Amino acid sequence: MDFGFMMHYAPYFVNAAYMTVFISFFGLVLSLVLGLICVAVQMANVPVARQIVRAYVELSRNTPLLVQLYFLYFGLPKLGVSWSAETCAIVGLAFLGGSYMTEALRGGFEAVPRVQLESARVLGFSPVQTFLHVTVPQALSTAIPAVVANVIFLVKESSVVSAIALADVMYVTKDLMGQTYDTYESLTLLVITYLVILLPISIVGTVLERRFDYARR
Amino acid sequence: MTDINATTTGSASLGVAGAAEHPAVTAQGAALSVRHLVKQYDNASAPVLNDISFDVPAGQVFVILGPSGSGKSTLLRTIAGLEPIQGGEITMGGELLRQAQSAGKLRSASASDSTKVGMVFQSYDLFPNKTVLGNIMLAPVLVQKRDKASVQAEALRLLERVGLADRKDAWPHELSGGQRQRVAICRALIEHPQVMLFDEVTAALDPEMVREVLDVILELANSGQTMLIVTHEMAFARAVADHVVLLANGSIVEESDHPQEFFDHPHTERAQQFLATFTYDRGQRQS
Repeated sequence: MDFGFMMHYAPYFVNAAYMTVFISFFGLVLSLVLGLICVAVQMANVPVARQIVRAYVELSRNTPLLVQLYFLYFGLPKLGVSWSAETCAIVGLAFLGGSYMTEALRGGFEAVPRVQLESARVLGFSPVQTFLHVTVPQALSTAIPAVVANVIFLVKESSVVSAIALADVMYVTKDLMGQTYDTYESLTLLVITYLVILLPISIVGTVLERRFDYARR
Repeated sequence: MTDINATTTGSASLGVAGAAEHPAVTAQGAALSVRHLVKQYDNASAPVLNDISFDVPAGQVFVILGPSGSGKSTLLRTIAGLEPIQGGEITMGGELLRQAQSAGKLRSASASDSTKVGMVFQSYDLFPNKTVLGNIMLAPVLVQKRDKASVQAEALRLLERVGLADRKDAWPHELSGGQRQRVAICRALIEHPQVMLFDEVTAALDPEMVREVLDVILELANSGQTMLIVTHEMAFARAVADHVVLLANGSIVEESDHPQEFFDHPHTERAQQFLATFTYDRGQRQS
């Protein structure tokens, strides 16, 4: 292995990692917001919106991210909507992640015992107060492991954005391999970059799981 | 509104002393008044509660006994506003609290509800995401918009009263079942409810923990708190009750203002039968 080569090209990966983290971060935040809205619609059993959420979840889960990105990047301009590659990447990740987060969060919400809601009701909480102070904290605590798994999955899935010419770590790696033919070193740098990004997330996830595990005895 | 027959005799009691006066008693002077209450689930053939009427004067300890499925818990839940009712009405201090709703819909809880009824459930229901103090302080601060400092002072006084002052920062999962129930009582009391409802609060507890919870309820009774208690602890019921009611199949079978007499000499066959299930006779053992 050529360590001199790796040291030389490492700064390219640092810059590309910023792009990966940038896209992933905003994609994830939007995924979570979208997931929370969808779950709220499902829990509140809003008539028409419930069916729309169901259709969205199935559409989003059962189509590849690459296809979703192509649609946003190459398809939308035909309809007169031209977004930057960054916007397409973030919206694409949010579209995919939203359904995964919906399913992960739904599990948490369904696990909140009925008597918790009844206690809140007798204490005089409004439905909104119950939702914010009782349901959400407990549901999130149960959902943390599944949500963390989705976060890691989505960061990895962000490698697909290289297909719409965004200079993320995957894109830089393909570029480097094309220019230098040093495949082995390039891919090793890529693996290291992903580990540097994802291992801290894994560790924070484990800490959060422990911290908010209210159900333990 | 009330779709049941207004000419029914009000109380289903069978000629027990005190019970016959029911239809004449007005809601005045009663902390809680239940009139012709009917509770029926949509797909059920018979009502769970069938024309229940009673009054609970302020300061009274009203104990409800009965076999499983007799409707005792459902009765408390209708008073707490957790179950829609299909007939009759419940008033508190002369003010309408619950009435039959069209389409069986429950209206949302409001801040004014918080000062009317407080309830403690059989299953541990403390909020696991809050500490002991957090559990007690949440509702008065959030719902009743009271001053945080004075709420905290009162919460600490209540914890002192139930012997848990040193556990104020503990999480619910760190407490025993008996401790959780005592905290749950504090959480309800801090809202100053006119009526407290206890729904088999010791049923899930180890025998040794039953005592610590019942002692708190007994002390509360002595302080003049109006309360309705559903329990299977007969010795406790006998000790604490001002008024005993026996529910069976959704109706009041027997009631009495003299608990000792009720337990020793029940009038109705159903009550004799029910109370007999709690006693064991050495004579049954074949030597």
